[in-house]
Amino acid sequence: MISDLAVPNLFVAQAGQLVLPVVLPLLAAFLMQPLARVSTALARGLGPLVLILCAWITAQLWIQLGDAPFTLAIGGFAPPLGILFYADGIALLFALAVPVFALLFWPGSESGGGAGADSRPGSDQADRDQAARRDALVLLLVAATTGLALSGDLFNLYVFYELAAVASFGLVALSGTGRAQVATFRYLMISAFGSVLALAGIAILYMQTGTLNLGQLAQLAPETLNNPIGSAAFALMLIGFGVKAELFPVNTWVPEVYAGAPARVSALLAGLVSKLAVLVIVRLLVLIFPQPEAAQMLLVLGVLGVLTGEFAAWRAKDFPRMLAFSSIGQLGIVFVAFSIGGEIGLLAGLAVALHHLIVKSALFGLAVRWNGSLEALAGAARTSPLGAALFVLFALSLVGVPPLPGFWAKLTVIVGLAERGTPLDITALMSILLVTAVEASYLFRVAIRLYQDNPDPVARHARRDLGVSALLGAVLVAATLGLRPVADVLGAGAAQLGDRAGYIETVFPSHVAGKD
Amino acid sequence: MMSLTLEGVVLIGALGLIVIGALGMAISNHLFRMLLALVLAESGANLLIVLSGYRVGASAPILGFGDPTAPMVDPVPQVLVLTAIVIGVGVQALAVALLLKVYRVYGTLNVRELRDRMDADVATAAGVEADASQDAPAGERPLPPVPAHASVGSGGFGRRGPVPFPPQSDERRP
Amino acid sequence: MTSLDHLVLVSALTLALMLLFGRMRIAGRLAVVLYAVQFLLLMQTGALLGEPVASSLTLSVLDLQMHWRYDALSWFFAMITIGAGFFCAWYAAGVWQERYREEGHSPRLFHVALAANVLTMLILLGSGDLLSLFIGWELVSWASFLLMAVGGGPAGRAALRYLVYAFSGGMAILAGLMLIYTQTGSLDYARVLSLLGELSDGQVWLLLLLIGGGFAVKMGLLPFHLWQAAAYAETPGPGSSFLGAISARMGLYALIMLLVAMLGIGRLTAMEVPFTFLSARDLIAWIAALTVIIPTYIALQQHDARYLLAWHGIGQGGYMLLGLMVGNAVGSAGGLFHVFTYGITQAALLMAVFAVVHRTGTADLNKLGGLVARMPLTFLVLLFGIISLAGLPPMAGFVSKWMVYRSLVAEGMPLLFVAAVVGTLGTILSVYKLIHNIFLGQLRIEHEQVREAPLSMLLPMLGLSTLIFLVGVTPGPALSWVAAVQASLGLPPVPYTLGGIEDPRGGLDMLWLVGILMAGFGVGALIFFGLGGRSKRVHQLDNYAGGHFLTADVRYQYSDNFYAGLMHLIGPWYRGAFLWLEKALTATVAFLSAVMNGFYRYAQPALFVLATAVALLALTTA
Repeated sequence: MISDLAVPNLFVAQAGQLVLPVVLPLLAAFLMQPLARVSTALARGLGPLVLILCAWITAQLWIQLGDAPFTLAIGGFAPPLGILFYADGIALLFALAVPVFALLFWPGSESGGGAGADSRPGSDQADRDQAARRDALVLLLVAATTGLALSGDLFNLYVFYELAAVASFGLVALSGTGRAQVATFRYLMISAFGSVLALAGIAILYMQTGTLNLGQLAQLAPETLNNPIGSAAFALMLIGFGVKAELFPVNTWVPEVYAGAPARVSALLAGLVSKLAVLVIVRLLVLIFPQPEAAQMLLVLGVLGVLTGEFAAWRAKDFPRMLAFSSIGQLGIVFVAFSIGGEIGLLAGLAVALHHLIVKSALFGLAVRWNGSLEALAGAARTSPLGAALFVLFALSLVGVPPLPGFWAKLTVIVGLAERGTPLDITALMSILLVTAVEASYLFRVAIRLYQDNPDPVARHARRDLGVSALLGAVLVAATLGLRPVADVLGAGAAQLGDRAGYIETVFPSHVAGKD
Repeated sequence: MMSLTLEGVVLIGALGLIVIGALGMAISNHLFRMLLALVLAESGANLLIVLSGYRVGASAPILGFGDPTAPMVDPVPQVLVLTAIVIGVGVQALAVALLLKVYRVYGTLNVRELRDRMDADVATAAGVEADASQDAPAGERPLPPVPAHASVGSGGFGRRGPVPFPPQSDERRP
Repeated sequence: MTSLDHLVLVSALTLALMLLFGRMRIAGRLAVVLYAVQFLLLMQTGALLGEPVASSLTLSVLDLQMHWRYDALSWFFAMITIGAGFFCAWYAAGVWQERYREEGHSPRLFHVALAANVLTMLILLGSGDLLSLFIGWELVSWASFLLMAVGGGPAGRAALRYLVYAFSGGMAILAGLMLIYTQTGSLDYARVLSLLGELSDGQVWLLLLLIGGGFAVKMGLLPFHLWQAAAYAETPGPGSSFLGAISARMGLYALIMLLVAMLGIGRLTAMEVPFTFLSARDLIAWIAALTVIIPTYIALQQHDARYLLAWHGIGQGGYMLLGLMVGNAVGSAGGLFHVFTYGITQAALLMAVFAVVHRTGTADLNKLGGLVARMPLTFLVLLFGIISLAGLPPMAGFVSKWMVYRSLVAEGMPLLFVAAVVGTLGTILSVYKLIHNIFLGQLRIEHEQVREAPLSMLLPMLGLSTLIFLVGVTPGPALSWVAAVQASLGLPPVPYTLGGIEDPRGGLDMLWLVGILMAGFGVGALIFFGLGGRSKRVHQLDNYAGGHFLTADVRYQYSDNFYAGLMHLIGPWYRGAFLWLEKALTATVAFLSAVMNGFYRYAQPALFVLATAVALLALTTA
């Protein structure tokens, strides 16, 4: 690692650079506080700079090396003893999404150029400290979530997961209101209890196999884990890692946290962090627990999430909580999709997950200004016509209206379920279709309200939030037009993600000895 | 029947700790007690990890300690558990800090009260009407209906504030 | 590039041009020209009589092939669609558009919505497999939603109600398609057709319920009709005409595909409704008959001209399905022909009503009256329209309705015949209310200065009226299209002549019929003028009663609460019918929503986690 850093040539991708997207934000996060004492401007610029660098490095790696999966043994210690980073197309894609989305939703100036107490930058030492702390926490979150995407070691995953959890606690609580703190505490309790269960699951795995390297676990799984004890371990880890992924029974923190946290933080949590947690669960499912019981658990919990989330959203009276409930429902669909298994299931899951990443982040971007009750949104189309149009676009895609990507994603899930066709699958299919109708009704209730006449509509969006949402909307439209290439990339990614033998082969090359 | 080994006892103990912790979290009505229950559960999980590398009669995996040829306890879980403990302590410290702040704002750590207060706060911040509390009677009128001769000060339904009296004529209709 | 590609491309071009130039004054006329071009291109495809025309565009998603083609059925519906678009754009192109702009609306949005409707309908009609059918279906649903919602205010609420119905229907259709997919492994028409015979009766019932129910939503069949009247009536003027003329018929198109082309009348006849003596075909026919009766009598109660006509639209859809369910040559031809005749009739009627709204500012039947001398041409259009709508000679509606009655009698379905006649009775009563309350009776003093509708609106109305009359007198050419459609569906084609149909047991020749009718009028005129033709022209407000002069502010004739006695008798039978169903469903969703919300608000997280963990562990060890 050190030798790689010694001569950094960032234009030539090397496997060694894989460690940088994790290490750089970590370093920056801890440098932030001292740096803020020296120079405010420097501290404020550091975060975005590091994120751009990370995005650049990951993009290079993805473009130049992303075709075939590769690994990086940290410190040169070979697996299974050493810890390693594993990068395939999907891992790199998510690792790329992390800094990009963190940059888009960088919490820099929450007031967004509007009036308010924080609009006097640097006028107050406390404000500056607060800003530095917030930036450090976001960088910490970035490091941890990138680690979740790349890590090839179960315990390492756990550590990154806890790091992401602590960073998100901090970010949610940072707004300082009482409700945010209560919400954070409840979130913390669920999350910590989930971690306890995940840890117990990891311990069981270790008892059974004596390793925590994902590649080796994948090798050993068919003999040692294809039994009730293995399934129990999966159940425990599913619940543990499911907390961040908004899995059904452990997602009760979602509405209150998203209602209490700053909207941009909610965007990061709902969009990004949840997807990375999903990726972890999928890796476990594909590599270690290919038995049908595991998929069935995921399916059942997913369906329950879909039902509870979407129905609860129907009654939500304020914009952030509506988005929060809808997010639960959408992630339920993601779980259902991944539970289908096979290439079509992975493709469907990836499509729904990425679609939700884009759409829900963008919607939370709009929620920066539309953070109040749905009643108050009446006539908002007059003050920000682009915002209202974007909302309609995202809502259309979210419910799945044909040419938009959301439709194809949902269709893939449904076809996948229909192809497998067990009674449980058909139930899941019917539930998804049922709640989609509910979803359409509550989303378009809001859309109609946006275009109502109202002499006193809410304030307009800050240019930055609108810009971010418009950018994501443009991505959505571009994906509609270029559906074929997008589907091809996702299909290849899904094939790689589902290739268990390939994973083992990459971690423990049988013919070429000592491939870094 | 299966004879109980030392490992078996510790295993059951560890799982028991987790279950006790979970139950404690579920039934305690006070946030700090919930936190303590969490600590119990966490130690259960840690114990489970240590146990996963334990061998009966093996020596500690320390260089120059004990018989180097004898079987050793697996050192990896012991390393892992150190990390887990550190993380756990960190999270608990954060939780305690949050509890302090919460107490300063709301002056209580009772779960139900806090939940209602938080709900009300969220609703106020969003500018919507808060849902009625689960613990408060539903509707505008306290249940059962107040008899016509009952005076305002009769109490008994004080949680919802003073009872409107006399009831509006159209409220009488079912 | 095939001729179908050209058609769809021009339609897409129309949409694009409206997006770009919709703000300009010329946009309306441009749209008219573009719809005319589309019409010509459609004629050129020759899909009616020749081979089906395929589009060169195909897509494949998840190993599912999608392609598009036009056959005679598609051609027939597309012809009505583009025609409706043409006339409605014409109506909108001049004064109406300017007024609409002055009222603070966006003509661009309106033109875009109209163009989007035409385009999506053309796409739907071309669907060559079930997946493209579903996609087209969804596109049409959302395009109509756009057209309904552009009005804002009450239109928005009506549109939302429509959306919930339509989207739920869409999801039911998708579920049905997935059922087919699991059974046949394909969504291709040909393949599904070959394997559909192997489905059990239970599965076919489920299909009917899911897919048929979904399609029925758009058509407004009972019990899914509640959304339609308000949604269509609140849509701005020409948009309302367009929706009324063709939009709901997309549901019929899809139902024809399902019931006639895929399942077949024979299969439906063979399927018994459990625990009854009815077959599936009888059941659908009775649903159609009830759809005729109930909405028509609801229309009777309306005091808004737009709502009255919109409620009728639901009822008339019932005749079409009824005719198709009879299934013989004359019946199915009558059902299909009614799509055409009713389309032109409804468009003309709504245009006339909106012309009145344009001049007087209200569609409230209790606030109008006596406009016949002020707006004589509009009166004429409305008169032609209501004669056709009520199914009286010599207008187009008579021919199609006659064919449906004829087939019901000939096939021995007297009860359904009676039901259809009861529906027609309601129609006659309510259209009389319509024309009386607007044009006859006492002129209101505030309407004394009202002038005839502007020419730009009058011309398309008169064009449609001429069409109604011409098709009524010589239905032959239009019936030739219907016969081609029947042939493509595998139904026996109707034996048509220039003036009607040929039938050994009693045909119809409109030329004779109109001749006799006109002769009757001629005799009447001869008598009138032969006796000197004594009449005196007075001002409309120059009235006497009982030897007293009536000043203009005296209301001596009331048109409020029309048919009060009749309503008193029959109103309680159907008041609020089916509303309870909608309310029950909404209440169920609200209840579930409250429960789920409660789950998240009153969660005892640890308890849930523990319970789930225990459940999962039990599952794994079991």
